Amino acid sequence: MIRLKNILPKAFLIGIVDMVEISGVEKTCKWLNSIGIELAEIEGPGFEGAWEDDINYLPICPFGNELIDFANIYGQTPPQFTELIEHVNELKARSDRPWDYPALSCVLGILQNSYSTHRALLADAHIYNVGSKSAVNNIKVYNEEAIEKAGMTKDQVSRILDHGFCVYKVEYIKKE
Amino acid sequence: MNFAEAERIYENSIKIIKLNQHEKGGFYASPPGTRYHFIYPRDHSVDILGAIAAGLLGEAKKALEFILNAQKPLGEFSQRYDVDGNDASYKDLQIDGNGLVLFAMGKYFDATTKSSTGAEDVDFVREQWDKVEKAVGFILMNKNEEVGLIHTINSIHEYPAYEHGFEIYANCACCAGILAAVRMGRSIGKKVDTWKVEAEKIKESIITRLYSSRRRSFIKCIRVKDRYSKPIGYDAFASVVIDVDVVEYSPAYFELISDYDIKIKSTVKRIHENLWDKEIGGLNRYPEYWGRNNGGYGPWCHFTCQLANHFVETNNMDMAKLYLGWVVDMAHEQLLPEHISTIERFELWLEDYTNARILRDSKMTMIQNVKSHPKWKDGLAYVTIPLIWPHAEYIRAYSNFKNKFLKGHFAVRGNTADLI
Repeated sequence: MIRLKNILPKAFLIGIVDMVEISGVEKTCKWLNSIGIELAEIEGPGFEGAWEDDINYLPICPFGNELIDFANIYGQTPPQFTELIEHVNELKARSDRPWDYPALSCVLGILQNSYSTHRALLADAHIYNVGSKSAVNNIKVYNEEAIEKAGMTKDQVSRILDHGFCVYKVEYIKKE
Repeated sequence: MNFAEAERIYENSIKIIKLNQHEKGGFYASPPGTRYHFIYPRDHSVDILGAIAAGLLGEAKKALEFILNAQKPLGEFSQRYDVDGNDASYKDLQIDGNGLVLFAMGKYFDATTKSSTGAEDVDFVREQWDKVEKAVGFILMNKNEEVGLIHTINSIHEYPAYEHGFEIYANCACCAGILAAVRMGRSIGKKVDTWKVEAEKIKESIITRLYSSRRRSFIKCIRVKDRYSKPIGYDAFASVVIDVDVVEYSPAYFELISDYDIKIKSTVKRIHENLWDKEIGGLNRYPEYWGRNNGGYGPWCHFTCQLANHFVETNNMDMAKLYLGWVVDMAHEQLLPEHISTIERFELWLEDYTNARILRDSKMTMIQNVKSHPKWKDGLAYVTIPLIWPHAEYIRAYSNFKNKFLKGHFAVRGNTADLI
């Protein structure tokens, strides 16, 4: 399954596992966030995916194939991935702005959310990650505070997740 | 050919172009609230060409400002944008957009320098020069030195299975775009000789590597997965797409070689023989067996207009009338669709996609619209009407047709008109 030609995505995933072991979840999380911001700066303002009015969502999971492959190779999701997701969820629980946190269904959601949020910010928009779905097991995850902030219902988000993977409500920032 | 109707469609096409320009400058691909209510650089650029052909230079300039301001940091133009110029794409790189924007800007520049306000638009080139530099830089960043061509993942049909690699439309657009940048750069005293050299190398590669002497036709694509595969012969996709595709006419469309060039004439002959629809007329875009026939296999108005223009250019009035006349006959209330199919082919497509479980939810509205359109009762499936792109191509083809064949020979009799 591994060939030198396609080694990079797998190397990155193993890198995340090792990074947690070497530096801990907090630093790894910051590292993933900073990669997302750096890449967003290169790509510039905007959004990726399909639209339903002011809802932006991904019809296919950008990391689905890689994550399923990785899970198949290792037989399970590495515990370090789960630790990272739990860490972000703890930060969210302690925050007074829980709606700004991602609805994480996979570890790469940390990177994806920081990339998407920063690209939106460059476009003078704020995005709320109201829900996401795991490409590995199809489990839906919601950010209930973000759903409330976005003026949506869980059912609405769920319906979009039936044919999508990561759902954002987009709000343009009003300038004075 | 129904000349009176042809004139009415021309007038309506100009209205359509104007009506579908957002106040911030972007041309919608189809009207707001319909299937393609975004700004796609490819459609947008052709709309600019249509606006220029109709003398709408103010609209063209506004459209160019919009798209140049929407350029991404690396110099790329995305697959599509929202009306504010934010990237709203969902597909991989489509580098022909870079070529097309530069090509359209060059056409605007040519048109305005011929007008009394020429000096002002040299200023426009000066103002936008950093964008031009980045756009050319991005194209050249995607050039493979071994084959001398620009690599792309998607091109005009947004169909990587046949367009991933060194594809002819994208290469012609990019080559013509760089040549336009050279022309504009020289007018403001920029050193652009290296771009000229690069463009000539690409042109040479198009003529030698994307032309088959034995088939006497340009070919669609050298399939190569990775841009920097060294050598490309070892690339996993390494192969050639030799099937006929309507955009094999691109070297002349983008004015890299003459419409009279024997390579173009024989390519057009192959296109006509293989893609002219035997049942309902008009030009199909590629063979039916490529299997991606959303809304049913059938002829496309804007490609038919492009080839009509070839026949105008080569003084072949009979063929020009056949092609343009088909577009005129197919218009519904002076509106042009993306493409036209038959009920049978529409249902075949629906069956194929349903069985294969690849019918996306987003296609449901299109399906409803096709079935509720008045032409369905005539046995025809009109897919996405109006689409702005064919109106722009129609303006270009019809105005050239009129200038060449109808000047001083046009008589209107009541509701009809004919050559005298």
